[in-house]
Amino acid sequence: MELMTRKEVWNITYNHALGKTASEFFTQIKESARILGRRCPSDGRVLVPPRAFSDESLEATDEWVEVGPGGRIEAFTITYEPFQNLPEPPYAFGYVLLDGASTAIGGYFKGIDLSDPARAAEKLVVGTRVKTCFAEEKDRIGDVLDFWFEVQD
Amino acid sequence: MAYRTRPAVVGGATTLIPNSTGKSLEELLYDVAQKAVASAGITYDDIDGIVVAANDQYDGRAISVMAASGPVGGVDRDILCTPSAGEHAFVTGALRVASKLFDTQLVLAWSPAEVSSFSEAQRLAADPYYHRRLPLDELSSHALQASALGASVENLADLSHSVLTKNRANGAVAYPDIAAYSSGVPRGDHPVRWPIFSDMIAPPITGLVAMVLAGEDFVADRGLARPVWIEGMGWATEPSFLGDRNLGGLPSLEAAAAQAFAEAGVSDPVGEFDVAELADATPHQELLSYEGLSLCRRDGWEAALGDGTFHADGRLPVNLSGGALSVNPIFCTGLMRISEVARQLRGEAGAAQKEGAARGVAHAASGIAMQYNTVIVMNNQQPGTVQ
Repeated sequence: MELMTRKEVWNITYNHALGKTASEFFTQIKESARILGRRCPSDGRVLVPPRAFSDESLEATDEWVEVGPGGRIEAFTITYEPFQNLPEPPYAFGYVLLDGASTAIGGYFKGIDLSDPARAAEKLVVGTRVKTCFAEEKDRIGDVLDFWFEVQD
Repeated sequence: MAYRTRPAVVGGATTLIPNSTGKSLEELLYDVAQKAVASAGITYDDIDGIVVAANDQYDGRAISVMAASGPVGGVDRDILCTPSAGEHAFVTGALRVASKLFDTQLVLAWSPAEVSSFSEAQRLAADPYYHRRLPLDELSSHALQASALGASVENLADLSHSVLTKNRANGAVAYPDIAAYSSGVPRGDHPVRWPIFSDMIAPPITGLVAMVLAGEDFVADRGLARPVWIEGMGWATEPSFLGDRNLGGLPSLEAAAAQAFAEAGVSDPVGEFDVAELADATPHQELLSYEGLSLCRRDGWEAALGDGTFHADGRLPVNLSGGALSVNPIFCTGLMRISEVARQLRGEAGAAQKEGAARGVAHAASGIAMQYNTVIVMNNQQPGTVQ
């Protein structure tokens, strides 16, 4: 007797509600090419990406604050394998603390030759200054892929 | 914490299968649960309740406790599921015994290796607003954490290699048939996520871990052999957005350790423990754990790894089992750390046994970049009876 296996592929679509805060964040990226955070009234922290409330103070945030476009790398990695629903690899991505923000935002790093990982990593070390770049207005759809970071000269 | 009775580990079983299992998940669960209960010297009629932990995405089954209830004895019996982590199932089971509402608990965690891509399954954990469009799986999060750690630790690559070499040597003794790279550690392979190279992680395998817990009265009444008493437990959580954290440190582990050590009365962990099992999905995690558990600050890592403090014959052997760097039953890795300490203290660790091990600490981490940290202190000498 052969021990059988059963192969299954599921394809389920979700249509997630972003809510007011994330909708405004992506609308500003799409229409104005700028990154906004939300300030917590109790501790003054500027949360980027913005959230409707602070998970530290549990207060509702109450003010929009533009941050960046400059910032510093807090963490990075380079990956060479493909992921579903993402552009072709390799990718460099990580977290950047934008000027004026209290928390770092995840995004891609571009403008670096990733063919030699060790040399690429030297250019992305934690603390490196970067600037936020945006896709052309016609190409922006209100998504994380509309912006990326490049190392400042 | 005011326990009404002290819980003890009184039995357990582990199934680890690197290749095709040839069994259904239900059959594997039935086998491991039966073995665990029998190992305690009791019968299923003695099991008052069950706590299970599994990952629906890995199982390919929604609400995987539904699949488990039958095979592990959950029909007509109290059963709960903690999908966050196997170590959380352990804590819940221990607290249920400590409450004296239950004499015994069976705790299980498992993960089959049947999904086409663990990476894609893990990406379902990311929020669909800001993080789904990034290549953010657990390995990426561990790499981001390693890069942040590298900002304050100059020789991180060498230290990581020392941890890797140590754990793989231990794994070759503890699990010679299934440990990854038991013939030696290659170096300079390709990076899977910079700065993590392919040789720095072990491939996921099918795993199931089951443990049986009982309270003081039950242990005494039944005369159960070799109970391992829980002296202290602590658990804490990091923020869910990686950008909200300082990834170069682990404040939640410090908080969890402080809670567990205060309960257990531990003030000098390196001197007071005989064995430790720490989270080590990557070698960088074990390094961070040294610091979070107050075993060794980062400025002492080089010396401690150099003089063998944490090696098999050192002052405090860490991961005598080889850790997840050797055997990686991916979702139940956390419960396996607790189980491995209990096995050492019960004298059941086989070739990896440390002679005379009486007191140990287990650290489990789960989630992205070690978001959840849990610390368990155990002792095979019965501490003062809880009043």
